[in-house]
Amino acid sequence: MTLSHLHLVLNHVPVVGSVVAFGLLLLALVRHSADLRRAALEVVVLVGLFSLPAYLSGAGAQPELADKSAAAVAMVRAHHDAALLGSIAMLPTVMLAWVGLWQTRRLTRPARGVFGAVLLLAIVTLALMGRAANLGGLIRHPEVTALQAAQTAESAGWMTAWIARVGTLGTWAWPAAEALHFIGMALLFGILLAVNLRLLGMMKPVAFSVLHRLLPWAMLGLTINVVTGMVFVIGLPSQYAGWPFYWKIGLLIVGGAQLLYLTIADAPWNVTAGKNAPVLARTLASTGIVAWLVVMYFGRMLPYLGNSF
Amino acid sequence: MELLLWLENTSFATWVREGNTIFAYPTILFLHTLGLATVVGLSTVLNLRVLGIARKLPFAVLTPFIPVIWIAFAVTAASGVALFVANPGPRVESLVFFIKLVFVALAVATLHLMAKRIFRNPLADQSPLPRQARVLAVASMLFWVAATTAGRLMAYIV
Repeated sequence: MTLSHLHLVLNHVPVVGSVVAFGLLLLALVRHSADLRRAALEVVVLVGLFSLPAYLSGAGAQPELADKSAAAVAMVRAHHDAALLGSIAMLPTVMLAWVGLWQTRRLTRPARGVFGAVLLLAIVTLALMGRAANLGGLIRHPEVTALQAAQTAESAGWMTAWIARVGTLGTWAWPAAEALHFIGMALLFGILLAVNLRLLGMMKPVAFSVLHRLLPWAMLGLTINVVTGMVFVIGLPSQYAGWPFYWKIGLLIVGGAQLLYLTIADAPWNVTAGKNAPVLARTLASTGIVAWLVVMYFGRMLPYLGNSF
Repeated sequence: MELLLWLENTSFATWVREGNTIFAYPTILFLHTLGLATVVGLSTVLNLRVLGIARKLPFAVLTPFIPVIWIAFAVTAASGVALFVANPGPRVESLVFFIKLVFVALAVATLHLMAKRIFRNPLADQSPLPRQARVLAVASMLFWVAATTAGRLMAYIV
């Protein structure tokens, strides 16, 4: 299976996922249902998590198309720009949905305005992801593209081209992004290590809900690393097409899902002062810690097992 | 300088530098990364608590993290020494490396001070913290950010 093939499978996630998420958000609004609202926000976060490999497989597949016609390459660039724009809209949508879930857990409902803002952002995301999908669909269909390719090629891919240029040719951007990536890593790993260790029996005198307060800082670390990580992938996509990177992203989804579990699930929240966590919560806590360890391992090993620097 | 030359030519330094195995330089570098993530990340938990995040968390409950941080620091320092002896020449002359060591020293001193004054102080949970505690926490975060940034920059500016 080539990356192009993988991308053809995964590319439905951000588009169809955004449609489903938007539908659920709308339904929750109409029905005034707290359960639906929570489910809709959860779906937004999960769609965001699974959109990551869709984007990365597309960015990684670009070199595979390098020997194709100039028109095809221009269409790929235009599609990449559109996908990046969609991702830029999706990032705050997902982050805000996560904040809504965190507040739901702590205060029984999202703060005023958060849900509405997620809904509005979801509309923007849906529109931009639909546009990206439309441009992507043209790539493999030369019979459709003859005219459009000529029109699109004019301004194709200025945004990703700019990021790639500043990211790789500039002397400061790549090292600065690397430094931020390490700071985000320490924040994410340290906070989640502490929170998960409570479920494994450390800091037993306090309730889990006390540590839940720290989770937004882990989310901040994750956000920093998704943004800086995308700069690397856009800058030098060929460095990130290899099995160590697939493992990294696979385990990143596991770690992200475990963060969602810590944020919203009942089992950890109900671990009161002096109590042990149930077996499942403990298993998932260990899974989360191991997942982030593997993410860091393969990230650090990219230059040695893969071909990046 | 002769000492450095001798260090560089020990069989251990040669193995770290030239060993044709994933367990030499790459794994030592990973241990360095894992150690720094644990030290900086868990220190951040302590600093955030001092700054008023998760107020219901007693300082006394967080004390077990202090030995964990010191163990992680030992791993980071030991792997750092191994990476240093593998190629000491450019590093002793590097300003970035010097800056990194200064900030690591400042951060470690701050951590020691915070451990003694706050986390191992039985009175800390009973009365509001003095202002200096917050200053220490902010300084600790800035020192770790500076040390991490300088360390990462060593890959680009030496």
